[in-house]
Amino acid sequence: MTKRYPVLHVENLTMHYLTRKGEVKAVENVSFSLDKGEALGLVGESGCGKTSVALTLLRLLPENARFLGGHVYFFRDSTDEAHARRAVGKPVKILLDGQEHQGRLLEATRSHLVLDASANGRREQLRLNRQDVARLGVDLTALSDEEMRPIRWKGISMIFQAAMNSLNPVYKVGDQIIEALQTHLPISVPEARERVAELFQLVGLDRQLMDRYPHEYSGGMKQRAVIAMALACEPDMIIADEPTTALDVIVQDKILREMRQIQKKLNMSMIYISHDIAVIAEVADKVGVMYGGGLVEFGPSDAIFKNPIHPYTKALMSAFPSIKGEKVKLAALPGEPPDLIKPPSGCRFHPRCPFATEICEREVPEFREHKPSQYAACWNPLSKGDR
Amino acid sequence: MSIRIWHALTSGMGKFIIVRVFQIILVLYLYMTLVFIILEAQPGDITDIYTANPKITPEAKEAIVKQLGLDKPIHERYLNYLRNFVTGHLGCSFKWGNIRDVPDPVCREQRPTWDLIKERLPRTIVLFLTYTIVSFYIGFFLGKLIAWRRGAVIEYLSTVVGVVLFTIFTPWFALLLVWLFAVNAGVVPIGGFINPDSWTNVRQIGTTDCSIGISCSNIVFTHLLMWLGGLSLFWGIVYLWSRHFPYAWQKHAARWGAVAFGLILAGLFFGGGWLGEVDRVTLARDTRFQFFVWYFEFPAGTIPLFPLALDFVQHLALPILTLTLISFAGTMLLMRNTMLETMREDYVMAAKAKGLPDHIVRDKHAARNALLPVVTSLIFAIAFSVDGGVFTETIFSWPGMGQLLLLSALEQDYPVAIGSLVFTGIFALIAHLIADILYAFLDPRIRYD
Repeated sequence: MTKRYPVLHVENLTMHYLTRKGEVKAVENVSFSLDKGEALGLVGESGCGKTSVALTLLRLLPENARFLGGHVYFFRDSTDEAHARRAVGKPVKILLDGQEHQGRLLEATRSHLVLDASANGRREQLRLNRQDVARLGVDLTALSDEEMRPIRWKGISMIFQAAMNSLNPVYKVGDQIIEALQTHLPISVPEARERVAELFQLVGLDRQLMDRYPHEYSGGMKQRAVIAMALACEPDMIIADEPTTALDVIVQDKILREMRQIQKKLNMSMIYISHDIAVIAEVADKVGVMYGGGLVEFGPSDAIFKNPIHPYTKALMSAFPSIKGEKVKLAALPGEPPDLIKPPSGCRFHPRCPFATEICEREVPEFREHKPSQYAACWNPLSKGDR
Repeated sequence: MSIRIWHALTSGMGKFIIVRVFQIILVLYLYMTLVFIILEAQPGDITDIYTANPKITPEAKEAIVKQLGLDKPIHERYLNYLRNFVTGHLGCSFKWGNIRDVPDPVCREQRPTWDLIKERLPRTIVLFLTYTIVSFYIGFFLGKLIAWRRGAVIEYLSTVVGVVLFTIFTPWFALLLVWLFAVNAGVVPIGGFINPDSWTNVRQIGTTDCSIGISCSNIVFTHLLMWLGGLSLFWGIVYLWSRHFPYAWQKHAARWGAVAFGLILAGLFFGGGWLGEVDRVTLARDTRFQFFVWYFEFPAGTIPLFPLALDFVQHLALPILTLTLISFAGTMLLMRNTMLETMREDYVMAAKAKGLPDHIVRDKHAARNALLPVVTSLIFAIAFSVDGGVFTETIFSWPGMGQLLLLSALEQDYPVAIGSLVFTGIFALIAHLIADILYAFLDPRIRYD
């Protein structure tokens, strides 16, 4: 068994938006996990809740969003003092000898972590030796805004959809990165400038460009600058929300390749969010397929692309052309994406599913392991013959 | 070197400013002509005031007409007026007599218009600039706060109070405040510019400008104004200079050091004294002087400026309070709206995601970008502060440009009316130019080339 080194465990994440028309059930029971150095691709049609998941992780939701439940465990090494201090009193997950302990952290001393692991009426207090504990995960949903602040960018940073607009037009690009650096690290301006120069070199920008304003950049340059900004504090994890959608295919490919290289080089975890399954196929180790606010399939990317379990995954794959494969007619998926204010009963995909049976209409399928480490929520999983 | 200067002047900002200055001159010429025509088109002139007086004989009336130059044809007067303006002489008042010991070389016993404007413009600028900046700042601050914390109690409270004050009938509200603070509470003077009692015995040695106590007030007032301007300039330069210091503490040290240095310097000047004299009776009677007389040993021939400067501040307090209360809501609501728009921008979300403290996301990212339209309104407010709100100056008996404009228009004192109108125009045009230049600094996307 390989040593597990988790960065993120997401459990049953549920979040709705309150709008005038009604409650939009944007994220429904989403669970996935991410290890260090892994790249996860979240794929799905527009409006299926991919970005909402990302915003929920970082707790950057707009005012009309209602967080309804779930846990986001963000792991760091248990030797990280600030992380342990932040976790006191919060629900935590502790990885010890390949075993997971869950509960509320009562105390974090130099030598021990005291965990209240009471569950199902059974009272239990664990006293764990700090040296033995590999990873300590704190539930981000339980943190206050002020406690969350150091995690943003230093722990999890983000490359926003429309990177063009995520640079403030009135400040020089370099200064915007320096600002992030100085918020999280005790460094002076000259040191920060040196760091920005390094980052610019890493993403393939000229160092002179850091004293320019965003409007003096081209689209691709802005994208690179935004990537440099996301890398600035060497975060454990980066969420890239449609990082290349606004770019033309050539630049898109180049930037994706470079991001992948940087990610491998720095051994970072990454979540790519895209509607383009081709992009995900290129960069991701694991794939999560989202439909109508829920995760319908999750697993290693080669397994999923070879043998999809969920009919939607298959439909999504056959809607995009492949350069390498044989010539096949692209199949458009009939029907409309579901209305998330009044989602279909049972499996949300059933109105468009060619394999739907009567149970799909009635009951929500459980998200479970169909094949080793390949999860899906489907009543009629595809076997090899269905392809 | 000269090539570099030439290049700077003919490209980008330099070229833009030069072109704009020429435009301003053209617009100013058109404006002056318009002002002249409008005032000429008014029925009657200053001699009508004298015709009602039976004691004035036709000969005397003719002599007045001749003396004022009203017998000349209109085009000649127009050219005269333009020529005077170009040479820097704004004509002689029909109404105001000379107050100096030495008669004016051109106007002789009449008072030159420029002399009147020179005396009144600083007063108006101080009152209206102060109030504009104070009300702008309050509006800006509240606006960004209520947008940031939308739906909080403070939003409803400040919106309701602001809109009520914004729409209230100005003279009535001003009188209400006068009644409240000056008449009932007695904490501020009812109106006016100075308390004559404090000034009657003040003299400055060695000048002819300050032979009467009251006219000394103009000199002290100019001192006050120059200090305000000088200190603002000094602080502004230090602020800009310290912007790129590598550590935050260096920035703070430089800025607070500059503030302390400026205040100490001003304190020494205003507390220290001024070549002049004031008689013992005044010193004994005026409680404000007593403190200083007791505290410092002043050499003969010097008096502390501080109590005199305080006299202005006391008189300024109520008008500034009134004007601020009446007008802050405009800036506040504008700021709120633009702020709500910028708050939806992706870079504000990105700033939040960067883990910046809430107040930095609000001030540095959201409010900074919401500032542009608000600055536009500020610049226009400053431009029109020169005409001095005729209402306000009348109610508070503040002898500034607004009052001058009203008086001269009522009494058909053309040169003064034209002079004050033209000054309003010049200020509006200059304010436009400043607004354009300021935009380039506030928004790097704006480039003039």
